[in-house]
Amino acid sequence: MEKKTVRKFKWFWAWQDEAEEDWLREMSNQGWHLSQIVFPTVYQFNAGDAQDYVYRLDYRSHWKMEKADYLQLFQDAGWEYLQEMAGWHYFRKLARQGEELEIYTDAESKIEKYQRLLAFLGILALPLFLSLINLSDPPYDWFSPIRVIILLIFMLYVYALVRILLRINQLKRI
Amino acid sequence: MTKDKTDKYLPLTEATYYIMLALIEPLHGYGVMQKVEQISQGTVKVGPGTLYGVFATLEKEGLIIKVKEEDRRKCYALTDKGRRVLAMQIQRLEIMHANGATIRKNLLEPAADSL
Repeated sequence: MEKKTVRKFKWFWAWQDEAEEDWLREMSNQGWHLSQIVFPTVYQFNAGDAQDYVYRLDYRSHWKMEKADYLQLFQDAGWEYLQEMAGWHYFRKLARQGEELEIYTDAESKIEKYQRLLAFLGILALPLFLSLINLSDPPYDWFSPIRVIILLIFMLYVYALVRILLRINQLKRI
Repeated sequence: MTKDKTDKYLPLTEATYYIMLALIEPLHGYGVMQKVEQISQGTVKVGPGTLYGVFATLEKEGLIIKVKEEDRRKCYALTDKGRRVLAMQIQRLEIMHANGATIRKNLLEPAADSL
């Protein structure tokens, strides 16, 4: 039997990991199971029976040796590892009665996940910021197209950082 | 006695406390997850993301150590420093509990000013 696959293009911002998890679950509920993320924003699905797969995304970078231990823990806890894409690790598990469906079971560790993401985005934003304030080019023009583009990207970064900070704040308990 | 700042780790989070309790004997990650759920009577479950992070921190701080490997799974156990930290945490919990226990029955009666 021929295996039916479909590719979908979908954009998620860095702070929308939970929306992405929900979308992947919805796709599985309709019989489309994630087989591969070809490139950020390009998702490939295989056709199959509708299943209630719960997807969870972890953000973490580690060394090769550590990754084996990391994946072993998830596998033992019943999580199927799909792949890594740009620092995000994709896991899924069938939602059944009595199954623990969270990979992070307390606020502290959930906050740490977003702090790692924040640190990474912060490092990326730095060269952008430096190129913005770089005044060394003599025909000093604030509105040169390249500068406007960098400014827009930089503002997007700042917005992303704020969104993630708000998420962290929301997770903090009384 | 060597004075190392063990109180900087206190208070432990509930997950960290239970994970350290479980590691009083050498266990691998999955064993820790099962034991924590069991001894906490189901009140605390530790997901793999949380556990991986706690293991990494505890190992880095020298509170637990890898002791052996069982079919590709690393087994951890408390170090002496880890045992001291856990003992101090338990003492804190005893004080917390004693404070709560004395007023607990009053909490279940209506407050005086609500009459």
